Amino acid sequence: MPLLEMKHITKAFSGVYANEDVNLSVEQGEIHALLGENGAGKTTLMNILFGIYQADGGEILYQGEPVRFRSPKDAIGHGIGMVHQHFSLVKKMTVLDNIILGLGSNRAVLDRKAAAERIRQLAAKYGLSVEPEARVCDLSVGEQQRVEILKALYRNITLLILDEPTGVLTPQETEHFFEVLRKLKGEGHGIIIITHRLAEIMAISDRVTILRDGKSVKSLCTADTNPEELSAYMIGRPLSEKKQEHLGYSQETALALEQVCVGKKHGGKLALDHVSLTVHRGEILGVAGVEGNGQKELAEVITGIRKAADGTVAFYGEDAGRWSVKERFCKGISYISDDRHNDSLVMEMSVTDNVILRDYDRAPYSGNGILRDREIRRRAGSALEDYRIKTSGTSGIDTPVRLMSGGNQQKVILAREIFEQAKLIVASQPTRGLDIGATEFVHQMLVEEKRQGKSVVLISADLDEILTLSDRIAVMYEGRIIGILDRKDADIAHVGLLMGGITGREEQK
Amino acid sequence: MNSSRVQRAVEMACIVVISLVVAAGLVMLAGASPIGAFQMFLKGIFGNLNGFGEVFVKATPLILTGLGCSVAFRTGFFNIGAEGQFYMGALAAAWAALNLTGVPGPVRIVVAILAGFLFGGIWALAAALMKAKLGISEIIVTIMLNYIAVNILGIAVRTFLMDPAGSIPQSAKLDASVTLTRFLKPTRIHTGIFLALAAVLLIWFIMEKTSIGYEIKVVGFNQRAAVCNGISVVKNIIISAALSGGLAGIAGAVEVLGVQKKLLEGISGGCGYTAILITLLASNHPAGVLVTAILFAALSVGANSMQRQMGIPSAIVDFLIGMVVLLILSRELFRRKAGRREAK
Repeated sequence: MPLLEMKHITKAFSGVYANEDVNLSVEQGEIHALLGENGAGKTTLMNILFGIYQADGGEILYQGEPVRFRSPKDAIGHGIGMVHQHFSLVKKMTVLDNIILGLGSNRAVLDRKAAAERIRQLAAKYGLSVEPEARVCDLSVGEQQRVEILKALYRNITLLILDEPTGVLTPQETEHFFEVLRKLKGEGHGIIIITHRLAEIMAISDRVTILRDGKSVKSLCTADTNPEELSAYMIGRPLSEKKQEHLGYSQETALALEQVCVGKKHGGKLALDHVSLTVHRGEILGVAGVEGNGQKELAEVITGIRKAADGTVAFYGEDAGRWSVKERFCKGISYISDDRHNDSLVMEMSVTDNVILRDYDRAPYSGNGILRDREIRRRAGSALEDYRIKTSGTSGIDTPVRLMSGGNQQKVILAREIFEQAKLIVASQPTRGLDIGATEFVHQMLVEEKRQGKSVVLISADLDEILTLSDRIAVMYEGRIIGILDRKDADIAHVGLLMGGITGREEQK
Repeated sequence: MNSSRVQRAVEMACIVVISLVVAAGLVMLAGASPIGAFQMFLKGIFGNLNGFGEVFVKATPLILTGLGCSVAFRTGFFNIGAEGQFYMGALAAAWAALNLTGVPGPVRIVVAILAGFLFGGIWALAAALMKAKLGISEIIVTIMLNYIAVNILGIAVRTFLMDPAGSIPQSAKLDASVTLTRFLKPTRIHTGIFLALAAVLLIWFIMEKTSIGYEIKVVGFNQRAAVCNGISVVKNIIISAALSGGLAGIAGAVEVLGVQKKLLEGISGGCGYTAILITLLASNHPAGVLVTAILFAALSVGANSMQRQMGIPSAIVDFLIGMVVLLILSRELFRRKAGRREAK
């Protein structure tokens, strides 16, 4: 009898399936990997199991009995623990306080001594050494993770869910972490590990279930598979048929990054780790990778929002490292951010105000510090026309962008960022959340810019988009450029392996 | 669009009715007839020219401090320090008016008002710099600076600005040549009201028609977008804070030069705090500040008349103001919550 069985799980958010007929089964003493791209439905599935969401359909059997968890507390009560990617610890409290938090006590006074004793025992048993009286904020990320696992074990869990547990760990910490997992497995615990790192799946898991587009496509025994097969299942679709005519690009260097580093992420690792990259005039450089591997930092270091801690950024031969965001824009570096609501738009302001967000302080839109309404409104009007922006209602260019659809909001950003003097466009997830028509429009715009001799850095989680549009493809993994492929030589399987951190094909056994 | 306007009107009507009922209850509790009290209230405001003029005398500093708060709130700088900035402005203006005796009167007035602007501005700037550079909450800093300002003024009127001829803690009376003209005698209404009206126009112009106003609005709505598009958050917070404090400082200067004609303790009458309410109710809009400030001034004039004529405590009006503000703010919260539910 399996420890956990999830059968035909279905969950939709406003009509869109996040999980559709998903099946998953985990045995006692098994490490089960859950693999899938961003948005494949891994997190939704685990949130259903942990009682954060309720499934629309399907059933969950736990230790052979049908269950339905109303809340995480409910799930924990049944013996299921989860360690989230971003830890849920109270930083200023001690390890002990964090572990017993929310448990209550059957005595009036907390018996801290007994709790500390039990924590020490658990820690010794599983090799999770931490000092119960240490404050969490003084601990390394690896130690904090141990606290999270201890927190789960302290609640007598039998199934442990780990969401991207190794993302923040150094290789040494990862090795130690795997040993802990093996001990837990030896004690008969079931473990579900969500990860995109193929090498780790091969190293630690017994079985692996692959999700794609909200469906479970395959469950395999790890011993019978290999990274290539896994990545094929993960990506799973044939290459897009429509191919862009590839015009080639000039050999002139537009942007050159040399050994660029950007500060530390939550843990000890660099967000950008000695990245060197060249973008040519008239080239679309695709940047592929699982999200959170340094793409955002790369975009921000090019556009000037973040400063490089080390290394150089050169733009058409000039040292751009010290240029401000505004200077870079004036020199022709524009930015379509992946987070349009926060980075690119002021939602409460009108289309007009958002269209001039970059050049409100320059002629012809202002002079001597005074805004020129007529010029500004003319500009907004022509943006509306050129980009076929539809505003809901009758206010036209005075409509607050918050009332507009995602596609039309994105067009407002395009109208602002794609301008005459632009030379390099950093486009991050430019079609996320857009419908087919709007996506097509964005793609056409980018290709048109390339045709005019402008360069594009296209950061996208959508491999089809990258493979269709790019001249060359750089793959990011853990803050590094793990490989750069020419469009001609790139196939989806190879890119998929690189995204999982596997560089040489000889490593696949 | 239309239905939301109707809904707004209904809500406002509810608030008015609730407050009228509560007011009537309170008046009866004080042992008077609500209708008689209301008559006295209106009579105080419209009954004679003096009362009517007094509304604008009281509105003048409220308009200026209210505008000041609105500018700061626009960038998300929660300036609770208009009171202290008012005091510093009053102190600086009084010093200039009393001591620069070599300067002709009209010039001295201008210098005194500028000194008020400068000192009020510096007082707010201190808080802005501490927020921008050290990350200390401006709410706490501005409140603390209020205490300091109040006590600096207290020390001043007991030492270097104390009237040498008197024995109570206040300055000497200002020379008639450095006071603001009362142009509608016998009321106390003075030329400061024109300064306040000009400030309304100027702030409206800055916020709506200049690039600096545009930047301030962007920073207030979305700091992250400001950063990503090359607009300095620190610079704009500092500018708006200094402008905000400067306006409160002018309010202090005008109160000294136009109404009291000397420096004394408690000169603000708490208008630095009332300004916060005015700004909140006016949603930071300059014209809204103007109207709300006049309403608040009228309420206080009417309440005083009620107290004088019928012995009903004027505190009833403060009570009502507090209640109305709470009702309006909770209505905003309620609407936001409802909106979020709809969005989901």
